[in-house]
Amino acid sequence: MTTPAKPADAHRTWRAGRVLLALTCVFAVIAVGGVGWLAVDLYAVGVAAGRLQGETVPWTIERQRLGRNLEQLRLEGQRVLTAPSPAGRQDALFLVHMLSAQPGMADDPRTAGLAVEVERFLQKVESPATPADMRAWEALSSRLRLMADDLSVEGGKRMSRELVRMSGEMEQASYKLLFNLALMAGFMAAFLVVVRRYLIRPLQRIRQVLSALDARGPEPAFPPEPMAEIRAVEDAIVRFHATLRENDEVRLRLERLATTDGLTGLFNRHHFMGLAADEMARAARYGRPITVGIADLDHFKQVNDTLGHAAGDHVLQTFARLLGDTLRQTDRVCRYGGEEFAFVFPETTPDEALLLGERLRARLLESPPVLADGRRLAVTFSLGLADASGCGLEDSLARADLGLYEAKRAGRNRTVVTRRPDGL
Amino acid sequence: MAKTIFRCLSVFCLVAVVGLAHGAERVLKVGVIHHSPPMSYLEASGALTGFNVEIMRELCKEMAARCETVVLTLDRVVDALADGEVDFAAVSLLVTPERRARILLTKPYYRSISVWFARPGIKPGEARVAVVKGSIQARYAQAHAWPIQPFDNHEAIFGALSAGRAEAALLPMANAVALRQDPRTLAQGLSSTVVQYPELAGDAALGVNPRDRALLDKLNEAIDEIKRDGRFDRINTRFIPFRLQ
Repeated sequence: MTTPAKPADAHRTWRAGRVLLALTCVFAVIAVGGVGWLAVDLYAVGVAAGRLQGETVPWTIERQRLGRNLEQLRLEGQRVLTAPSPAGRQDALFLVHMLSAQPGMADDPRTAGLAVEVERFLQKVESPATPADMRAWEALSSRLRLMADDLSVEGGKRMSRELVRMSGEMEQASYKLLFNLALMAGFMAAFLVVVRRYLIRPLQRIRQVLSALDARGPEPAFPPEPMAEIRAVEDAIVRFHATLRENDEVRLRLERLATTDGLTGLFNRHHFMGLAADEMARAARYGRPITVGIADLDHFKQVNDTLGHAAGDHVLQTFARLLGDTLRQTDRVCRYGGEEFAFVFPETTPDEALLLGERLRARLLESPPVLADGRRLAVTFSLGLADASGCGLEDSLARADLGLYEAKRAGRNRTVVTRRPDGL
Repeated sequence: MAKTIFRCLSVFCLVAVVGLAHGAERVLKVGVIHHSPPMSYLEASGALTGFNVEIMRELCKEMAARCETVVLTLDRVVDALADGEVDFAAVSLLVTPERRARILLTKPYYRSISVWFARPGIKPGEARVAVVKGSIQARYAQAHAWPIQPFDNHEAIFGALSAGRAEAALLPMANAVALRQDPRTLAQGLSSTVVQYPELAGDAALGVNPRDRALLDKLNEAIDEIKRDGRFDRINTRFIPFRLQ
């Protein structure tokens, strides 16, 4: 058994498991990175929502309360100036003091300053108020109203700013989400392409090669694959094919040895008998003519004795080659033993076989065996023929043998047809 | 075997139903004080009302809890909370380190100041000052060695002032507003001054049983919620002529 040549290993190979693991790791890292990237924005949105709920909304409500207190301060101030009784004026002035001293009022410098200004003015004004006092109060009252307006919308403005910022962060998060989804889809597609290109396609090719694998066909060829496992299978298929071819050659050689004669290349007697039996059976089944014959080279012993066995072998080989060139493809011939040859002529009557025998004789005359020293040997043969239609093989061969003896006895170099006992 | 499983399931269902019912409506004992208008007082019909009482009712509603009131006096509030006699108190407590050391306090729900009421010409420290026992004002007066005239509640102070049994009083802002509007005291011609001492002003909070931090969290959430949805402001409008902040 010969070792098949290894496929060219010019290309580096990779283990599929490691490649897939590496791809998965890369994907995991990218996915985690993408999710982390997205989480930053989601966290910012969460923080902004928490700030809105926990800080801005309460702050807005407090602003509105402060605005309401400013409005209350204005109303109480109005009451201080217009109260019909000193008690009512005192009551209103008390509430003015209370409102001005409110901690909420003091928190904002704008309201604190205005409240103190109002408180001082109202405390100073004598009852009843003069027109000049009322004009001064109108100015203060207007400032209180405007300040209340400003405070009541400040909360809305702050909420609006935060909502704009939050919606910006959400929009950014949605873009990142889309990007991440696209990235994952792209990676999945790339993964499938890699699996298809480097695993599925080679497996399909391997399947095709295996289903068409023939010992007598050409050696399977594979393009260089980067996956080590695929390469290993392909190399194994190449080795397997080489083994198959080798086994087939051995089988053919053994078959030839078992069925042919080593010297002449003609069928041996055992194989010939099998073939002849088949032909006889076919002829009998279809009622077709068939003829058998036995030939013997004349004076062959003298050739061996005088010229040596090599010359004898050469004569046998030349005669065998001549048989191959002259007889028809359907005719069967074998080396029957020594210098004897047996024939089966399917679809042939003894008379037609006689003509074939004579053609062979003429060819031998034209192309005699030539020794190494150039000498041409005059070789002849005797042939006995027998009609084998409807007869047994052994019986027919025995009659052909009788014909051969008859031909020998009659002086050799001739053909004798032995008729059947029934005269046919 | 089937019977055992059935029994186990029955017990589990019973426990679950009882647990759910218990979780759905917890019974809370709430300390309240009487005779402290406009924060906590009895109407003519005898019904308890006031800013703190109505706030307490909304908080209980928000927490899905059934609240039962326990009447206290101001000087007993902190002790009752510390002893676990009540779960929380619907009483405005000015946040001080001493109170924080003994009980839990919710986040501030408004800020208060104090007002000095007196007959004209009387300045702090010059005459006996009427204060409610246990109040931050009483503590301040004592700390400054002012002669004090202790009372159980604010209405008692209002009565003493209108009857001439007291000459001066130191009161929290909301009670001062109620006193100013009380027709009995108007005739006395009392003068009022907002006092600027930092110890008498600051955050007002509700007191909570020191062993019930979960209730504190729930109360804080509930305070935020009733402030957000406007219930706090509606109660404010009913009882006080300006916004508490």
